[in-house]
Amino acid sequence: MKRRKFWEKGAEGVLLACALLSVLAVILITVFLFARGLPLFAKVPLTEFLFSSRWEPTAEEPHFGILAFISGSVVVTGLALLIALPTGLAVGIYLAELSGKRTSRAIRSAVELLAGIPSVIYGLFGIALVSTASRAIFGGSGYGLGSAAIVLAIMTLPTIVNVTEVSLRAVPRELKEGSLALGATQWQTIVRVQVPAARSGIIAGAVLGMGRAIGETMAVLMVGGNAPIMPKGLDGMIRTLTMNIITDMSYARDDHLTSLFTTGIALFVFILALNITVQAALKRSLAGTEGAALG
Amino acid sequence: MKKTALIALSLILAASAFAQLKGTYTFSGSTTVAPIAYAAIEQFQKENPGVKISYEGVGSGAGLKALAADQVTLAGSSAELSADQLKTLVPTVIALDGLTPVVNKNVKLSNISMENLAAIFTGKITNWKDVGGQDMKIVVVNRDESSGTYIAFWEIVCQKAYGKAIAYTKDAIVAKENGEVAAKVASTPGSIGYVGMAFAEEVIKAGGRSLLVNGVKDTIPNVVNKTWPISRKLYLVTKSAPVAGSVEKAFIDFVLSAKGQAIVKSADFIPVPKN
Repeated sequence: MKRRKFWEKGAEGVLLACALLSVLAVILITVFLFARGLPLFAKVPLTEFLFSSRWEPTAEEPHFGILAFISGSVVVTGLALLIALPTGLAVGIYLAELSGKRTSRAIRSAVELLAGIPSVIYGLFGIALVSTASRAIFGGSGYGLGSAAIVLAIMTLPTIVNVTEVSLRAVPRELKEGSLALGATQWQTIVRVQVPAARSGIIAGAVLGMGRAIGETMAVLMVGGNAPIMPKGLDGMIRTLTMNIITDMSYARDDHLTSLFTTGIALFVFILALNITVQAALKRSLAGTEGAALG
Repeated sequence: MKKTALIALSLILAASAFAQLKGTYTFSGSTTVAPIAYAAIEQFQKENPGVKISYEGVGSGAGLKALAADQVTLAGSSAELSADQLKTLVPTVIALDGLTPVVNKNVKLSNISMENLAAIFTGKITNWKDVGGQDMKIVVVNRDESSGTYIAFWEIVCQKAYGKAIAYTKDAIVAKENGEVAAKVASTPGSIGYVGMAFAEEVIKAGGRSLLVNGVKDTIPNVVNKTWPISRKLYLVTKSAPVAGSVEKAFIDFVLSAKGQAIVKSADFIPVPKN
């Protein structure tokens, strides 16, 4: 009896330790990031850092303004979602509701494969094909916002497809059957009943995709052009927060190095804020659904 | 008795001739020389465990000043020494640094002047037709701000007309490595970039072209005879000729040895040609 209790307690302890380890990792990352990045503000005012687009860290009189990179991250992620969300939704609906078993299996494994491809391969694909295509469509050098958004859209597609399909399948059968029994067509049922019922899952998928897009470094580095200027249009070059960190990391020293950690803080806060906002929105929309059901 | 003393004396002499180098040294100077210096110091310290050297990349000018003021005993320089400096300081060439402008194969141009090159990279000229090519927008490919090549190209090509403070056009693709410049230039119509001379071949292999500058081709002999304009020599400088048996002399000899020159090559510079 006693021995059994000992094992119970032991197992619980080990699991708890593992859980604490991941919490510790988050805390350590946060602390070190801030410890290395915050000292920059002794020399550069916060407002200049966030709201200036002058990035000249190695000049005689250095300037550290990351507005261009914040804008770059926001614009490229937004545009990528604008492409990936409708496409991913369409594929998810097709897989969950319309396709036959065999086609569905083929498409699903293709999408899963897409999720497993390393980002540097996406970058190579971007250089070889997407940049050429975007040069023909948007003009410019082919390295810029258009190419980066297309590559990111393809990269976020699997997440959105998977989550959409899974949440559509999780919608209770009765809803679908009820709708069809009331005389709605299949299309009406999907658009008016099933997708709204799966809404929260779909939003969660979009957020996951957005997280991947903002954090993505290698692929956008290879096709984004990387000029430290404000985004100017589909043919204009961009540099995102992640690109800025990786570009200068190898040689940067002193304040310049610190400023890269500070860029990391901006990215960190950015993703945190995004997650919190979306989670809050999700909670509200769920509460709304329940309220409607009760009402 | 006499014989023993003689043997003892010769033993002492032999021992001192092979005396292990030791001590702590600080060298300073050019940031361009720094990658060579760091790698060479690492290797040199492995072979001479008693020696500890640090190299501070403070710039050629500051390094030479520190050397003249006896604050350091060896300085790296990517700048030519003035006649005044040559009165007291002794430079030894350890590497050659040559850069080559490369363009996409669709650019209809084979030769460019230094002035036009500078104007393109500062954004003053944005169309190939202004430098003798076709009517096409120029896509500038530049290096990242913290690379030595980025600074070297400014100093050699642009500084004369546009001043010491670096002011490249910001509307340029930024590539992190020579290899990335090669890839971007080879794949982007209308593009121009610059790479370490050793890398020009990569661009040509990938389908790009190198440009003549002022009618001169980018060959190693042309760097050596100073006709290739985008080149310079890298020096290690000592106060008076390096003394045999000193750490400074041993270090310079090491950098000039086959091992040292391999380091030079792997840092993307051109080894000193043997005559």
